[in-house]
This record gives sequence, structure tokens and C-alpha cells, in this order.
Amino acid sequence: MNEKSDQNAAPSDKTPGWADLWQSFSDSSKQIAEAWSSSMAPFMLARLLEHPQGFAAGNEMSEAIEKMAQGPRLADVWDIDRKMALVFGAWMDMRQKLASYNAVTAAPWTEAAKRFMEAMSAVTDNGNKPPPDWREAFAKWSEISNEELIRNQRSDGFLRAQKELLQSGLKLRGRQDDVGEAAAAMFGIPGRKDFDEVTRQLTELRREVRALSHQVNAQQRAARSTRPRAGDPVASSENQPNTQ
Amino acid sequence: MTEDDRAARFFRDMVANTEKMVKATQLFGQTRDEDVAIGTTPKHLVMRRDKVELFHYEPMAEATARTPVLLAYGLIGRYTMADLQPDRSLVRNLLSKGLDLWLIDWGQPGRTERWLTIDDYVDDYIDAAVDRIAQETGHDRVTLLGICEGGVFTTCYAALHPEKVKNLVITITPIDFHADVKDKAAHHGFLNIWTRSLDPEDIDNLVDTYGVVPGEFMSSVFSMMTPMRSLTKYNVDLIDVVDDEAKFMNFLRMEKWLADRPHHPGEAAKQWLKELYQENRLANGNFVLSGRTVDLKSITAPVLNVFALDDHIIPPDCSRALGAKIGSRDYTEIPLPGGHVGLFVSSKSQGKLSQSITDWLVARDANPVGET
Repeated sequence: MNEKSDQNAAPSDKTPGWADLWQSFSDSSKQIAEAWSSSMAPFMLARLLEHPQGFAAGNEMSEAIEKMAQGPRLADVWDIDRKMALVFGAWMDMRQKLASYNAVTAAPWTEAAKRFMEAMSAVTDNGNKPPPDWREAFAKWSEISNEELIRNQRSDGFLRAQKELLQSGLKLRGRQDDVGEAAAAMFGIPGRKDFDEVTRQLTELRREVRALSHQVNAQQRAARSTRPRAGDPVASSENQPNTQ
Repeated sequence: MTEDDRAARFFRDMVANTEKMVKATQLFGQTRDEDVAIGTTPKHLVMRRDKVELFHYEPMAEATARTPVLLAYGLIGRYTMADLQPDRSLVRNLLSKGLDLWLIDWGQPGRTERWLTIDDYVDDYIDAAVDRIAQETGHDRVTLLGICEGGVFTTCYAALHPEKVKNLVITITPIDFHADVKDKAAHHGFLNIWTRSLDPEDIDNLVDTYGVVPGEFMSSVFSMMTPMRSLTKYNVDLIDVVDDEAKFMNFLRMEKWLADRPHHPGEAAKQWLKELYQENRLANGNFVLSGRTVDLKSITAPVLNVFALDDHIIPPDCSRALGAKIGSRDYTEIPLPGGHVGLFVSSKSQGKLSQSITDWLVARDANPVGET
């Protein structure tokens, strides 16, 4: 009895030790996560103050965040923070790509304005004749601008800027989706990936069923053609009215 | 003209334009979306398969051509472009000329349709529609009338199932997706250039992210192709139409069609943009659907190829390429003046397109007198 009691007592004596250790691990994990999270805010604020015009000036910050967020993963901490940081990094990258795109798309307007002024000078004979009415002037402006904008669209610079903007936009959207997926998983709700997987299975299943249906119909047709009998029913799913 | 005269003219114009913009605002306030009707030609539902529907149009005249005609639009935009309004409707014009017209409507694909491929559209949906029309009418073959991407689908179908196709009519359809380089017009073929500028992975990422190519995304690409038109349609264009109710309603119908741009199913979009626009597989003879190579030489039915000479989306040379690649000896090209959409909806082109198609069909497939 005593021996048994001692055996029972032994683990209970150790329990506080494990609990303390767990508590200690938990506290230190929380501290690490908090330290990491809180370190981001002053860092971002500092960079914002360095670049009051926003983040469009360069992508050093998004690169820094990317580097931090792409670091080694820990199993139980940081994951949502890491995902949020990646979203923020992608957002800044997209802002920078948008600024580059805007710069490229703004360029042809200068050339269009120059050409339009020259055209108007010619029409008015350098101010010696009256200017055309607004419709005529607008038609000229529209024609010239259209030419310049289309010329710009076909340039390598425009195509590259647009491609980079698309890539950065998709990266941002993908990372936002990752946060959404993590939040859905937290609440036990199926996410976008689950939906895609279900629809993939449904589409493939439908194809298999229809292929089998075709096969059966073909076999039935072949059987009818080899053994024609008066009054055979026309048995086929293809003959069903209205819906299939 | 003195400075005072110029200033007076400037203010007069400004007041007149402001008044027109106020009037436009009032008209917008008075008009409800349901007042702007498109795709109104009477038809009835014959078959539904997933979101795809097969309709049969009510006849409007005595039959002139024998074989039923199946109209297939693409997945970029909706068939309503061919039936925008009663006086600008390819559908109504063909019916009034005695064709037996059927329509395959792809509906509004969403993320649920992400995994559908062009294989599904050609070998399942079109095939099921053709079989159903054959069953309903007693014809063992149908005439296919494809528009734009729908023209590619019907061309592929005619190559893979020649025994079921009586005639093939395609309009504004790309076949050689790299032939835009031959076109010297600066405003032609931006879509080809833009698509080739992307990496294949960009297209994969787009589809994997959204599950589709969003309709709004395609709209923005199309808007870029006519930059000044896109910038002025809600101001200068509106000033031009606001005093004429019929023109104002035409403007709203076109806007309704543009706004009704469905999402393009994801996997089909990957094939469309990568295998066709980037790799040009259809023209190169290595486009594979349902495990079979689409060999254009297998097309033996008579073919009518109609394209628009000022088509900025599908440059004429991209369409013309079909003639040299098919097996049929009965091939006709009809280049018509106008643009990609204008061919179907402009007042100038009304009647030309439908008359060309009907004349060509009746010459090959006339309905015997008295037979319906």
C-alpha cells in the first residue's frame, strides 16, 4: 500500500516541475512573439518618417520585411504575424511597382501636349488666325493623344512596368489569401483551397460519369444496330428532355 | 475674331456643355436598368447542362436554308452582342432571312468552373448541343456559326467531329495568333503583344489566385486598347448623344453589354492565353483537346470566314490564316469594313453581315420550296 502510494506520489511530485517548465516555455514564446511584433512597428514608423512621400521611393523596406518573414519557421508562434508581415511587404512592393507604372504611363502625355501645341500653332498660323472651336480642337487632341498612348503601350518599358505591376498585385492577393486561409482554419471554416479542391473533384467526377454515359450509349446503339427488334425503347440519357 | 469674341464663344460652349451634362445626369436618374433591354429576340430553353444552356430561337420567316445553325459566342463577353437591340441584331436579321437558329449560352462562369478546359467546351458542351439539335430536328449534321473565341471552339469542333458539321461559319476569329506581326496598323493587335509579354507563370498565377480570369480584368485590358475612347465616353460621347433619346439608349445598351463581361474559366483561360496566344498551337498544328490533336486539315465542310478590316482585337491576318490550313476546298473569305464589335452593332454594318452569311448558306444548303 505504501509502496503503491509512493509510486502514485512520485509523478505528482514531478507535476509542478513540468508545469513550471511548460509555463516558462509558454512565457518565453509569448515574449519572443511580442518582441518580434512590437519591433516591427517602430521599424516601419521610422522608415515612414525617413520617406514622408511613402514607400514608393524604393523597395528596401519590403525586401527587409521579406527577409525577416522568410526566416526559419517555428511550430507554434509567429505564423500569423509572419503572414501579416508578408502581406505588408507585398503591399509596399506593389505600391512601388504602381509608382513605376504611373511614371511610364504619364510619359506620353508630355509628347502629346507638345504635338498638340504645334498642331494648334499651325492651324492658327501662330496666332494670326482664330483658333478652331472646341470640338475641332478636341478631335485633334484626342487623335494625337491616342497615337501617343498606343505607341507607349507597345513599348518595352510599358509592357515591363505592366507585367511587374501584375506580378506584384498577384503576389499581394496571394498573401492576403494566405491570411484568409489561416483565419478560416482557425475557426474551422473551409477556405478557398478547400473549395478549389472540391470543384476539381466535382469536375473530374462529372467527366468520368459523362464518359461512361457515352460509352453505355454507344454500346446500346451498337447492340441495337446488330440486333434490330421492332418496338425497342430508345433508352438513352441523351433523350431526356430539357436538363442533363 | 477678337479676344472678346473668343471669350464669348468659350463661355457659350461651356454653358451649353454644362447644360448637356446636367441633362445626362437627369436622364440617368430617370432610366432604370430594366428599361435597357438586350438579347430580347424570343427563344426558348431546350437543354441545360451545368451552367450552359441551349436555346432555340422562334422562327421569323419561312425557312431558306435546310440545316439548323448553332450560334456559339466566346467566353470573353456574352452572346448578347449579336442581339443588342432589335434594329442592330445579327440574330434577328438571320431569323428574318429564314435561318433555323439555335444558341449555346455559356452562362456566367465563376470559381466553380475553374477546372473547365476548352476540351470540355468543345467535346462536351458543343457536342451535347449538336446531338440535341440533331435529335430535335432529325438532321444528322448542323451548321456552326462561331464568333471570336466561339469561332475557335467551333473550328476545333469541325476538325474533331467533321461527320457532324454541315457548314462552318466563323466571324472575327483568331486562328494564327502570331499573325498580328504582319499588321502595320499601330492600334491593331495589342492583346497579342500584351499576352506574349507575360511569362507563362504569370498566367498560371492569375488563374490560381482568382480561379478565373476576372471579367473586370479583361475589361481593363480592352479599355487600354482604345485609350482616348475609354477616357471620353462618359463625357464627350455623352454630350453627343444626350439630345437624342434613341442614341442615348443605344449608348446604355452597349454599356450594359460591356458591363456584363463574365469571368473566363481558369483552366480554359490558361489554354487560351498560353497554348494559343503565346505558343500559337492551333496554327502550328499541335493544339490537343481530349487527347486528340486538332488537325485543321480534317475540316472538310464548306467554310465561310468573315472578319473586320479594322478589327483592333483580332487583326485580319490572324483570321485569314485559316484558308491555307483547312482540308475543305470550299472556302470563302468575306472581309467587311468596321471593327471587332462594330461589325455586329454599328448602324452602317447592319444587314451586310447577315446578308453575307445567309447568301453563302443558301447557295450551299437551300431549303426546297415548301419544306420547313
